[in-house]
Amino acid sequence: MRLVQIQPRSGSRPPEVPSKLPGIPSSAGAGGTPSEPLPVLLPSGQALSPDLRELRDLKNLEEILKNARELIRDLSFPTARAWAAGGGTSVAFFPVYTPHEIAHSLGMLPVTVHGGGEDLEITHADAALGSFLCSISKSTLELAITGCLDPFSAYVFPYICDVSRNLEGILCRLKPGSATHMLHLPQNFTSPATIPFLVTEYRRLIAKFEKVSGNRYQASELTQSLKLYNERRRAIEELSELRRKEPWKLPTSELYLLERMGDLLPPEAHLPLLRRSLEQARERSRTKRDAVRVLVVGPFCEQPTPDMLALVEEAGCYVVGDELNMLHHWTPTVPLDGDPLENMARSYVQTPVDIGVRATPIPKGDSIVARARAVDAQGVLFLTAKFCEPALEDVVLYRRGLDREKIPYLHMEFEERSTAYEQSRLQIETFVESVLFD
Amino acid sequence: MSAGASLLNANPGFLRDAREEQRKMVERYYADLESAGGPKRPVAYMLVGGNLTEIVRSFGYEVVFPEIVALNCAIKHKSLEYILNAEAQGYGLDVCGYVKNDLGLQAQGGVTPFGKVPKPDLLVCSFSGCYVYIKWWEALAETLGAPMYTYDVPYQRTEAPLKEDVEYMVAQLWEFIHFLEKTTGRSFDMEELKRVLARSRRAEEEWVRYLDAGRRRPSPIEAYFEAVFYMFPINVLRGTEEAVRFYETCNEEIRTRVSEGNYPVPEEKFRLVVEGVPPYTNYRTFWDFFRKWGAVSVAATYPKVGGLFDRGFYHDPSRPLESIAEYSLGAYVNQSWPLRRDLIKQYVRDYEADAVLIHGIKSCRSFTAGQGDLRDWLIHDAGVPTLYIESDHEDPRYFTPAQIKNRMDAFFESLDLRKRTGPSAGPAGGHAATTAGASATKEVAVR
Ligand code: SF4
Ligand code: SF4
Repeated sequence: MRLVQIQPRSGSRPPEVPSKLPGIPSSAGAGGTPSEPLPVLLPSGQALSPDLRELRDLKNLEEILKNARELIRDLSFPTARAWAAGGGTSVAFFPVYTPHEIAHSLGMLPVTVHGGGEDLEITHADAALGSFLCSISKSTLELAITGCLDPFSAYVFPYICDVSRNLEGILCRLKPGSATHMLHLPQNFTSPATIPFLVTEYRRLIAKFEKVSGNRYQASELTQSLKLYNERRRAIEELSELRRKEPWKLPTSELYLLERMGDLLPPEAHLPLLRRSLEQARERSRTKRDAVRVLVVGPFCEQPTPDMLALVEEAGCYVVGDELNMLHHWTPTVPLDGDPLENMARSYVQTPVDIGVRATPIPKGDSIVARARAVDAQGVLFLTAKFCEPALEDVVLYRRGLDREKIPYLHMEFEERSTAYEQSRLQIETFVESVLFD
Repeated sequence: MSAGASLLNANPGFLRDAREEQRKMVERYYADLESAGGPKRPVAYMLVGGNLTEIVRSFGYEVVFPEIVALNCAIKHKSLEYILNAEAQGYGLDVCGYVKNDLGLQAQGGVTPFGKVPKPDLLVCSFSGCYVYIKWWEALAETLGAPMYTYDVPYQRTEAPLKEDVEYMVAQLWEFIHFLEKTTGRSFDMEELKRVLARSRRAEEEWVRYLDAGRRRPSPIEAYFEAVFYMFPINVLRGTEEAVRFYETCNEEIRTRVSEGNYPVPEEKFRLVVEGVPPYTNYRTFWDFFRKWGAVSVAATYPKVGGLFDRGFYHDPSRPLESIAEYSLGAYVNQSWPLRRDLIKQYVRDYEADAVLIHGIKSCRSFTAGQGDLRDWLIHDAGVPTLYIESDHEDPRYFTPAQIKNRMDAFFESLDLRKRTGPSAGPAGGHAATTAGASATKEVAVR
């Protein structure tokens, strides 16, 4: 597969990061022959490029996982480059909640940039951002400084915290020719004025997207995009349900990869992969282990490495609920009747998500207990990004609720490039033992 | 963010009546608060950024600003005790010092060296400029059981407020008013609000007049260390005659200073614009690091956390709710980075500053995330010598006097050299002239 063709733009610095380019195979994988690629037309009329079609047609779950692992590690953003090569424009969205569907309806490739992960060394961003800040903010800035974000024409930072908000102000200085936007996500969830305000905010974003994409916004296209994204949400929900009921068939470290690759792919390519994965995961004959069912709370923005997630499971946990890849879980479905922008705004405002980056309508202590019980968790693992204040402040209130109900928990902090795996393993094993034998 | 230091023990000789009056005003405020709380004199907790003091007071609430309480605790060297209490509750090292001070203080019954802070009957969260506000108020609501009202203030990304943003806020203000009517059983009196806003406006204009005095050469005011003392009335007592009188006294004193030649430093050597929250735990020490070099702050961003009145964000009784909405948008840290950068550059030009000093706060991302980039921009794009130093507003464990002093000494030394020998010898990589040299200095009347 020729997905990754890193050609530094003339005059710009080459990306310093991807020493290891993704080994996306030249065949569609062991389990199957690539099906005859069907031209999938995107909203703007652009066809899915051969590279993306090839990826979409991967047949075998193990191969899909392998490609996902490589894709998310590739800091040259090959899908955005492939998109650009086909004449399209892409948007880099910072986590946690952003309206990808809007970009999609304008024929843009929406990508969530989850920082630089474990492979990126921070050499420039520290000076711009200051100390005491989370890794994802620094590595995202580092990606921008080193040219890795060049394939994108627009950058969107939601007001999930002051760091994300301020990052936009730095990016707009760094990339003066691009469209940048700080998306104000409202925090008043009771006012009737909030939904119209959010629609206005979306229209501001649309105006910028129209400029860089050259396409005009159309409500009917957005409804189509919402429909497709709803289908994807359904597929992810089914995978999550399988993970909750039979976590040995689809551990979270794998579910995570399947979801995460969707942050880089158009949903047209992602959805078939999810469906195929679900079918095959259901059929897996794996033996159930004696493990503790845990709810993982905290990594809603900066993500732990896949190795860290695997370690949690190896050390004796079944992760049966989590806050990873929250965008895919924010709302079960967005209604399709009526004005699509209003439907999106209503869905954001009226879905009472309990998460660190949105005001919570019910007490946190009660909420965490209800959430743990909903997934039948025996304990809670707080996995918070170092310096992530929204997560750190919630932990105290959550812990009080868990203490009241005598639900065990463990709190660990992580960083994108943390290597203290052995220490973490020991902590988790001790926690598991205490839950199993107390 | 916060404002209104009051119990500062730093009191250099140029400070006279206004400082004394401010001290008494603050003492009266805390003494009055001791007996507040409950249905007769309900207490509303508010946040400085975008606050709704006038509306809340018009319903008979006493107002507490936990940020201001926190900074007072830091000045009195009590913050660490409360911070450690909050850390024992589970709040991490990286949580904002104001939050930890407050939650530790609440756990210890609200008892401070300057009085007992009553518990809230209402929590008004003006979400303007700081995401931590939401987290903090949620924690208080859950811990203390008080109802919380969130007033969502859109981030200010354009120089002039946008119509839709103002409409959104005005709608919320009406809802808030109805909520207060229901909660207190009192009716809203628009005419009374207009009268209160008229007094707010007078205080704001006097406050701006005081701040504008920094344009004079030499500056008769210390626009950071002194102005921080005087932020208390503009945030806490806005809308009262007491606040108006206070700023009139300030300006009277400035006129006397000019006529008598009583300036913040005997010889003004360096004029600075200061960005960032002060290290309250070591306020006097930090100030001394400036004074020994004859450095005076002529403008600062921090005194604007409660509102950018000097940029026209005034309350206006003829447009009561609209102007409250615009005022809330105008909190300094609710300004996008491009707006913040421009403002600082304008201060450097309008106040003929030689340099910018940025004080970063390790537990405040709202102010601090991006100050390194600001420094880079000031030096390389705006040609302004700039020093960045970092400690904390509340936590004395992060203030390292020797290190900070060394960096400031080196900076002032190179500024001095630069003044004597020209820009190429100066700091900031020998970048161009310090100021654009506007002629504003003597044009500002100090009445
Ligand atoms: S990790 Fe936390 S602090 Fe950092 S950008 Fe994300 S939400 Fe904000
Ligand atoms: S984080 Fe900063 S702006 Fe927010 S309350 Fe703390 S000091 Fe103020």
